[in-house]
Amino acid sequence: MGRRRSSNTDTTTTTSSMGGGGGMGGGGGGMGGGACYVYPGAPATPGLVNADVTFNLGIDMNIPLTMDDGTTINMWGFSGSGGGMGGMGGAGTFPSPAMRVTEGDIVHTNLSVNMMMMHTIHHHGIEPAHTSDGVGHITWDVANGTYTYQWRPAHAGTYFYHCHTNTVLHAEMGMYGALIVDPPEGAGTLFSGGPDYDVEAFWVVDEIDSSWHTLPWTAGTCGGDVGLNELNPDYFVITGVDGSGNSAMNAPPISATVQRGQKLLARYICAGYHPQKIRFGGLTGKIYASDGRPLPKPVSVTEIRAASAERYDIIFEPAQTGTYLIETDIIHWVSGDVLGTTRASITVV
Amino acid sequence: MKKSMDRRTFLKFSSAGIASALVTSTGLLSWNPRAEAATINQTFYITEGFITQPDGVDVYFRGFSPGRNNLTVPGAQMIVQEGDTVRVTIVNTLGTSHSFKIDGIIDSGRIRGGESKTIEFQVNRAGTYMYYDARNAPYNRLSGLHGGFAVMPNGSSNKVYAGSPTFVQQYFWLFHDIDPVWHNTIRNGNTPNTRYSPRYFTMNGLSARPPGAPGAMDPNTDSMADPRSALHGHVGDRTLVRVLNAGLCQQSVHTHGNHMEWLTDNGQVRDDVWSKDCIYLEGNMGKFDAIYPFESPPDAWPPVTTGIYPMHLHTEMSQTAGGGLYMFGALTDIHFE
Repeated sequence: MGRRRSSNTDTTTTTSSMGGGGGMGGGGGGMGGGACYVYPGAPATPGLVNADVTFNLGIDMNIPLTMDDGTTINMWGFSGSGGGMGGMGGAGTFPSPAMRVTEGDIVHTNLSVNMMMMHTIHHHGIEPAHTSDGVGHITWDVANGTYTYQWRPAHAGTYFYHCHTNTVLHAEMGMYGALIVDPPEGAGTLFSGGPDYDVEAFWVVDEIDSSWHTLPWTAGTCGGDVGLNELNPDYFVITGVDGSGNSAMNAPPISATVQRGQKLLARYICAGYHPQKIRFGGLTGKIYASDGRPLPKPVSVTEIRAASAERYDIIFEPAQTGTYLIETDIIHWVSGDVLGTTRASITVV
Repeated sequence: MKKSMDRRTFLKFSSAGIASALVTSTGLLSWNPRAEAATINQTFYITEGFITQPDGVDVYFRGFSPGRNNLTVPGAQMIVQEGDTVRVTIVNTLGTSHSFKIDGIIDSGRIRGGESKTIEFQVNRAGTYMYYDARNAPYNRLSGLHGGFAVMPNGSSNKVYAGSPTFVQQYFWLFHDIDPVWHNTIRNGNTPNTRYSPRYFTMNGLSARPPGAPGAMDPNTDSMADPRSALHGHVGDRTLVRVLNAGLCQQSVHTHGNHMEWLTDNGQVRDDVWSKDCIYLEGNMGKFDAIYPFESPPDAWPPVTTGIYPMHLHTEMSQTAGGGLYMFGALTDIHFE
């Protein structure tokens, strides 16, 4: 046999074996060794200046999510105070609190993590200095302190943010939230020179494999088969709500009610790992932007196929009254089988 | 026929021995256009052996290799020019039948065990292709018999296709996913009948090793240090990535630092160039071309022109090895120098 990794931390490495894991995380169960290949740190941010907007986020590893069948699944997430200047803490939510900023704002995301674990924030699609990119192996995993991510969004559009420590697990556990960048014109305009809109809907579609939800935050990092190569979801959510039944139907801001003649902007985020196909129930929408960038020419569609972490901004101008079913299939990345479907609605009055 | 082989008779390679042959044979793809078409000669030996995965497990592979006594997965990157004649000699050192195919260009047909065959073909359409063994599909390809093949437009050093946006350097990102159970079944001459469960994920044949891991920063082991995979550029060094998927998993290719200009999708020039941070890569030989523009990261404050960012698949299961070991999967780094 070739080199076989021992089951625990390689003492010659620069990694930390700060314990943590199961017990304190709230996930409990499945405790293995310590953490390997994490890079703890919370240094001063290079080039720190005063911010126009500040988000103070903490960590909550005990967020119960009750599904339609009565099952409660433990989620992880960021707790926060939104755009205010208040302290960290408070209960986390799933998804984590949305960030909404204006193009050109200097933004601080202050992430506070206690000494028992490590996390980061990567503002997905935002492209800051690498010291504010939240990727542990290139910089550091925030541990035992507060780190300030400093960024200044240059392009209005739809983004999201998520943890980038042991990402395969932490993002699946729910450590993400929407991130909206408005143009200087403000909400109501998608991007400068782009379309305006009257009503907004948020379709953040994700799958949950409940068998992952008892793992510790360190799961698999030191080796051993903890099943992270296999995501076999048994629940399907849209913007934090069980989407398999009627829970998201008529529930704003997931489902939307618009009047004929109004424009609806749907911000669709493929937040899961498996590919998705979203169908608009007979409505035709127009994609104006994707991944935070305007398309050179808008494209009219009745459905969209999306890969993990893609975002699409779709404008609907429905002419006929009625209720339209917005269904998103979650499709297995190898077999192509439909694993589950989320349901939301657009009601036109 | 070698239906069943004693494992000791196999060539066994650490990944180190494999990539070094590739790096020296090609490295970063620099391309000087020629005024005249040329004849390109290439010989591949179909060989087999074991490659040690990040968790220490040895997995059986076959490859289009540069010699009888080595194993290269994927096969050497090939880059030619429209109008060239390509003459490929396949020496099948195994007992099983194999082939060499490039969709839309050439199919060698069956090359029996122990036989050799030389095929000659002209390339007339610029683009990004995979050469692969089409027999016993998809199993022979999955076992490692595949490689990247690029055709440059006639007389061009900086375009993907006539009239395309331009670049100054180019790379292949050839992704693969590996189910060791299937590979062992293929080794034994049988057809896999278990549910496909990939446990290892590679780009250009290597998985990543995070800092501090054994093999980290070794360009023959660590895809983050592999000069065939890691992008290096200064601001303005627009970089073409030719993205191919030899595996079965659908992937989401995600870059940090810059969005990508998405030029082609499964061989078709797109109607418009979209700027994307994630691009859908089909399984089972999906492909696309994109330019990583190496622009100053747009959302940095204060502005920066240097830094290191990852490219990783956002289908995060592909970032693991053996069911754990996050960051030992298919990812690399992008260096703004």
